[in-house]
Amino acid sequence: MKKLSKLLLTLTFALSITSSAFAVVVASWGGAYTESQKLGYGDPTAAALGVPIDWVDYSGGLSEIKAQKEAGAIVWDIIDVFASDTITGCDEGIFVEFDFDKDFPPAPDGTPASEDFFTGMPSKCAVGNILYSWNYAYNSNNVKGTPKTIKDFFNTKKFPGKRAIYKSALTNLEIALAADGIKAGKGGAKIYKALNTEKGVQRALDKIKKLCTDPKGGCVFWASGSQGPELLMSGEVVMATGWNGRFFNATIGEGAPIVQVWDGQGLDYEYFALVKGGPNESDAKKALAMMTNTEMLAGSAKYIAYAPWRKSSIAVMEAGEPWYKDGKTNMVPHMPTAPQNLKNYFLVDAEFWSDNGTELGEKWEAMKAGL
Amino acid sequence: MSSETQKILTTDGIPLEESLRKAEKKNKIKAFLLVAPLLLFIIITYIFPIGEMLFRSVDDRMVTNMLPKTFEAMKKWDGKELPQEEVFEAFYLDYKILVEEKRHGKLATQMNYTKNGFKSILKKLARKQKKFEEGNYKEQIMSVHKRWANVEYWRALKRRSPSYTYSKYLKGIDMYENEDGKIVQVPEDRRVHKILWMRTLNIALGVTILCFLMGYPIAHLLATLPMKYSNLLMICVLLPFWTSLLVRTASWMILLQQQGIVNDFFVWIGLVTDDTRPEMMYNKTGTFVAMTQILLPFMVLPLYSVMKTISPSLMRAGKSLGGTPFVAFWKVYFPLTVPGIGAGCLLVFILAIGYYITPALVGGASGSLISNHIAFHMKFTLDWSFASAMGLMLLSGVLGVYWIYNKLVGIDNIKLG
Repeated sequence: MKKLSKLLLTLTFALSITSSAFAVVVASWGGAYTESQKLGYGDPTAAALGVPIDWVDYSGGLSEIKAQKEAGAIVWDIIDVFASDTITGCDEGIFVEFDFDKDFPPAPDGTPASEDFFTGMPSKCAVGNILYSWNYAYNSNNVKGTPKTIKDFFNTKKFPGKRAIYKSALTNLEIALAADGIKAGKGGAKIYKALNTEKGVQRALDKIKKLCTDPKGGCVFWASGSQGPELLMSGEVVMATGWNGRFFNATIGEGAPIVQVWDGQGLDYEYFALVKGGPNESDAKKALAMMTNTEMLAGSAKYIAYAPWRKSSIAVMEAGEPWYKDGKTNMVPHMPTAPQNLKNYFLVDAEFWSDNGTELGEKWEAMKAGL
Repeated sequence: MSSETQKILTTDGIPLEESLRKAEKKNKIKAFLLVAPLLLFIIITYIFPIGEMLFRSVDDRMVTNMLPKTFEAMKKWDGKELPQEEVFEAFYLDYKILVEEKRHGKLATQMNYTKNGFKSILKKLARKQKKFEEGNYKEQIMSVHKRWANVEYWRALKRRSPSYTYSKYLKGIDMYENEDGKIVQVPEDRRVHKILWMRTLNIALGVTILCFLMGYPIAHLLATLPMKYSNLLMICVLLPFWTSLLVRTASWMILLQQQGIVNDFFVWIGLVTDDTRPEMMYNKTGTFVAMTQILLPFMVLPLYSVMKTISPSLMRAGKSLGGTPFVAFWKVYFPLTVPGIGAGCLLVFILAIGYYITPALVGGASGSLISNHIAFHMKFTLDWSFASAMGLMLLSGVLGVYWIYNKLVGIDNIKLG
């Protein structure tokens, strides 16, 4: 008996060493999101390639991978990152630069990978994963009337009550200008043009300040994605900005009386980046190429309402409706990229934010301190 | 008598003095070896990282080494108007090498810390410079982007020329060194660090005072009640202490929000009407309440351990000598608890000044403290030298408090039990 247990112990130890030695490690945000990645394309890819894929949670930012690199002990192969992080990581030499059409397979109809998506990549080190939206939602039990536009979010006369907005300047300045009457232009180009001037920034800050100091309004600042739906449910706020997948989960997944408004939505990508000199770089590259192909990306949208970054994946979903895991909800209308949701939107400009993020962040904090 | 006979010898003929010294030396080595692991541990995990942080916060050799020709050419430039052609040419030559070696991204990140908007114009230059013709680099660089014709950006570049700099510390207090070498404040709408420092200090002090006011009576009760009650009370202090920080913070959010339980109760008993529910969460009130509750055990426990050692007969003696209960308390009991107060206050203050999660979750608009800002620069801008500088400023602030305490009360007086 003792011998047997010893043998088992040695075996599991040996197994754990070998498996971790050739597994591809992906760092992502955890929760329902990582679950959708794992079920949607992680496990199928691992099975197809015969390479295990381990998912670890992290809370964003590049500090961990930079520390790993400086210590000379890189343990992550692939990271799920924001656009601005791909830019910084690429500049700092942390990520591998891609040769896009060579490294990633074309769409089933032969369209090269670099033409199969909504917009350009923010840096050479990024490959798209999902498209998500910064939109807003309200609790239909607590709001009289139906808010329809981004202007309604700021209209405290018609819709009195507190609003929940994101804690930092990102996307808040954009919606403030959109609500203040600036036309978005193509992909929000006009908004960013205005934000490139001191006057435009001041105008946006003033708009937010007015909303937060309005006795009929007021602001709660949210920090994590789950807070928006929670604040709406508890009645603490009447409207909240947030990520569309979270609102979808609350409405369809949990049956909450939450309604999303897509007018003035900010479209943003989430990306994968491949770590240069990671423990298992070549396998990771293969796994990444497979995980981001048309079929695989469509798979993740079965579990969460974020759009796959490939246009061709949407076609796969349309053909397979009802696509949601419950087997009765059509997924395509809930996608940020659905035509009826795209009437007035802006694309979150990663280059603008990586250029000006620090300064705008300081102005934003100074404004908040004066509330 | 010869001097040799005066010396006392041990049995094996060595002078006693020497033999003793030997034995003592052996003991000293043994003692040192015993503490060596701890010493090593402290050096590796504490002294070394702090040294590294200090170094990182002033080290700017990377940029200096990236643009050697530029900084050489800039020596003659007074910083008043746009620099001469030779500076542009030197910069072009330096930058060309960086682009070839693919190191220009690091320069872009670094320069963007000094002046916002540098990143995109450096990248644009990296793309355009491949087609540059020889000569007249000033015109060519300026035509890449209008910001290159803005003297501010060249001043920012010049500011990065020294190998070692204290500019990160200046930035930490919203100052910078302008082109005349004078230290001036940044524009008003960007003075955010001073606000954060004051807010952090404010909240830390407030929480310490609240903890003291609430902790002192509790500790007194704990120390004087009979065992069977005090044990129960002790559990009431310890149970929350052992509960996860996040759980406690989240419970306060549920309790105190506008549609929360406490407000519901107020409405129910008729204290407030339904539309005038007070805001107790997502502002300073919420921060004070949650942080005070979370840090309370750190005040109660040292106070309790000190009070436990004070004999009840001392108070009785004070009273029998004619003091009123208050005088007996103030003149006898209170001074004896000062070591515990010192320990508790220092502990709470130091923990509160670096607090991070709770203010971020319950603090609302005024919720972010200096520690949140440090984390922001660690994680997202990757400006680790600035984060190090602010970390060290925070550390020296805490050491300052420690020093003041030592001067006022004396650190030997501190007692944790």
